[in-house]
Amino acid sequence: MRLRSKLAIKCAKATSSLIKKMNRGSGVTLPGYVARLIDPKILNEMAGQVREKIIVTMGTNGKTTTNAILCRALESEGKKVIINRTGANMLNGIISAFVLSTDKKGRLDADFACIEVDEIASVGVLPRLTPDCALLTNISRDQLDRFGEVDITYNKLMTAVTSVPKTTLIINCDDILSCSLAENSGNPYVTYGISEQIFDDISRSEIRESIFCRKCGKKLEYDFFHYGQLGIYHCPNCGWERPQPDYTAEHIELHDEVYSFDMDRLHIDSTARTPYNIYNTLSAYTALKALGAGYAGFKEMIEAFDYGNNRESIFQINGARVQLHLAKNPIGFQQKVSLVLKDPKPKDIIIQINDTYQDGEDISWLWDVDFQYLADSNAQSIITAGTRRHDMGLRLKYEDIPCGSTTDLRASVLDRVENGTKNLYVIVNYSGLYRTNHMLTELEKTCGKTGEGKAEQEKSAAGKPEPGTQGQNREQKGGERA
Amino acid sequence: MMKLTIGHLYPDLLNLYGDRGNIQCFRKRLEWRGIEAEVIPFLSGDKIDFQKLDIVLLGGGSDREQELVCGFLKDIREDFQAYVENGGVVLAVCGGYQLLGKYYRTDKKTIEGLGILDITTEWEPERLIRNIVLNSPLFEQPVVGFENHGGRTYIGDHTPFGKVFYGLGNTGKSGYEGVVYKNVIATYLHGPLLPKNPQVCDYLLERALKRKYGDGVTLEPLADELEHKANSYIVDRYSDKKYILKETIKRYT
Repeated sequence: MRLRSKLAIKCAKATSSLIKKMNRGSGVTLPGYVARLIDPKILNEMAGQVREKIIVTMGTNGKTTTNAILCRALESEGKKVIINRTGANMLNGIISAFVLSTDKKGRLDADFACIEVDEIASVGVLPRLTPDCALLTNISRDQLDRFGEVDITYNKLMTAVTSVPKTTLIINCDDILSCSLAENSGNPYVTYGISEQIFDDISRSEIRESIFCRKCGKKLEYDFFHYGQLGIYHCPNCGWERPQPDYTAEHIELHDEVYSFDMDRLHIDSTARTPYNIYNTLSAYTALKALGAGYAGFKEMIEAFDYGNNRESIFQINGARVQLHLAKNPIGFQQKVSLVLKDPKPKDIIIQINDTYQDGEDISWLWDVDFQYLADSNAQSIITAGTRRHDMGLRLKYEDIPCGSTTDLRASVLDRVENGTKNLYVIVNYSGLYRTNHMLTELEKTCGKTGEGKAEQEKSAAGKPEPGTQGQNREQKGGERA
Repeated sequence: MMKLTIGHLYPDLLNLYGDRGNIQCFRKRLEWRGIEAEVIPFLSGDKIDFQKLDIVLLGGGSDREQELVCGFLKDIREDFQAYVENGGVVLAVCGGYQLLGKYYRTDKKTIEGLGILDITTEWEPERLIRNIVLNSPLFEQPVVGFENHGGRTYIGDHTPFGKVFYGLGNTGKSGYEGVVYKNVIATYLHGPLLPKNPQVCDYLLERALKRKYGDGVTLEPLADELEHKANSYIVDRYSDKKYILKETIKRYT
C-alpha cells in the first residue's frame, strides 16, 4: 500500500477518536473527509483490497433495509462484509466506513463490501469503487430541493452507472424510470418485479412520476399501480412495455400481520409487515444471485431477519405501546399512513417534521401525501413537532383534521403515554430519527415497560406543550369554520 | 349559494412540489365560508372551456414534462389569453410561470410559451434553491415560500409580485420575484404558496368572486392563527442575521 494511503488512514482514525472523545456525535463523515484530503485516491485503494465483490445499493426508498439483507445473507455464509451501516451514504461517509474498519496496519479484512450510496453522491462514488453490482430500488420523488427534479436524479444515476460500464445493474422493472435507465445505460442488467397487486388503495398516492412513455412521450397505460409510478405499464403508442422480470415474488399472502411468498422456488414465511419489504427482499435476492454468493441459506436467513432496522421500532413505555416510524418522502409517508390505518385500535399520533439539510429544506412534499385518510384512523389526538410543525399542522388543517403542536417532544410523549390511548405512533423525518430513538429507548428504561409512577415525576419536570395544542384546536374547530 | 369553478391545468404533467396544496387551499377557504368550490382537473389533451372557469392553476413540471405540455398549450393559447385579458384569475407557479411567457430556452432547446406575459426565461446550470421571503405591495404580511428553479426569468416592464427580502427571485440578481398582471399572479414560489400565505389565496378568491358576482362581494375573515404561525416562522428565521450567516456557511461547506 502507498505511504500516502497509510497516512490518510492514520489521520482519519485519529479524527474519529477525537470526535468520540469530544462526544461530538457519531463522527461518520469527517474522518472520510480527512482521509480524502490526504489521499484523493483512498477509496480506489480501499476498494482494491476487497477480496471478492463489491455491491452498491441506490434508489429513493428501501436502500438501508436492502443493504442490511445483503450484508446478513453474506455474513450468514461466513463472509466478512464491510457495510456503511449508519446511513452515511455520501462520499465521505463511505470512505469513513472503509478506513475505520482497517486493522492497525491499515489493511482491510473483507470478502465483500455492501455499500449504500446516495443518488447524488453516486457520480463520485461509483467510478472509485467500480462495483460488481449496482442495485437500484426505485427512483421517485425525494428531497427535491437537493435533486431539483426527479429527472435530475435520473441523469445523475445515468452518469454514475455509465462510468462503470461493466457493473451489472439490478433493476426493478415495475419502475419505468429504473427500467428506462437500464435499457439506455448499456450496462448488463438483471430485473426483478412483482406481478400481483399487493398494495392497498391508501398506499397508492396519486402523485406519480413519469407516467409518460420515455421513448415516444405518449401517456402510458397501466394494468395497475403498486405505489407511486410502480406498476404494470405499457405504451399504447410505441409498444414499450414492462418486461417480464427475471426474478419475481408470487403467491403473496398476509397472515397475522406478516407476509409469506414464493420466490425462485423458495417458500418464504417472512417477518415483513409491509409490502415494500417484499420488494427489498426480492431485490436483495436478485442481487445475490447475480453476485453468485449468499443465496444458498437465504430462506433460513430471511425468515429470521428483523426488518425493523431501528427505523421502525416498538417500545413499551409505562404500559403503553410506542412505535417509532421514519417517513422522509411522500411515498414513504403514504406507506406509514396505510400502516396506521391497518391498526383499528384507538391511538395517539405525534408527527415530527424538521427541515435541516439532511431532511431536505423543502417540506412542500407534505402536500403530496394523502393525509385525509387519517380522519378515519381512530386517532384520539394528533400532535405536530419539529421545526416545521406548523406546516405539518396546516397540512392537517386543510383536511379538516384537528391537531395540536409541541416544542417538547419528550413531554408530549410522556403525556400521551400517561393520559392517552396507550397506543402511540411517533412518526419522524430523517434528522429526528436518531435523537427520538435515543429518547424513547431511555424512557423505556427509566419508566419501565409496565411503568409504575415514574412517568409522573418525569412529566412535571418537563416543559408544557405550547399554546394551541390539541385541546384548544379541537374546540376552535367548530367556530372557525362557522 | 355562491360558487367558484377552479380549473387545474394538466395535473398529470404539471404537478411538482406539492402544488396541489394550492388547489386544496382554494377549495377549503371557499368551503369554510359557505361558498361552493368545484375543481376540474384538465388532463393533457382535454378540451378546456375557459368561459366556465373562475380560477386557473398552472403548476410546475420538470423540463421534460414542460416540453410535452408545450404541445397542448398551442391549442388553448387564444382562449387562455382572452380569459386573462378579460380579468380571469390565474395562479401560475414555477413552470407555469415560465410557460405564460414567450419562451424558455434551455441548453438543449427552446420551449415556446403561451406569450400571455411579455417575459422570457433562460436556463442556467446552477439551480436557485432555497427558502424565500418577499415583501409584496399587495399585502401587509410578507409572502414566504420555497424556490427551486434553473430558469432565470426576465420580466421586462411587468410589475413584479414582490421584492426579495431573503432568497434569489426571478434571476437571482434582480431583487424581484414573480409577476402580477391584471388578475394573474405568476411566481416561482412553492411551499406550496397558498396555505402559508392565506392573504394571497384570499386576494385571488376575492378577485374571482368580484368578477363573477360584482364588486359588492367581500370575504369574511377566517381564523388564520396557524397560517400566521407557519408564515412568521420563516419570516422570523430569515430576519435573523445570525441564522442567515449560519445557513450560508453550511451551504458552502
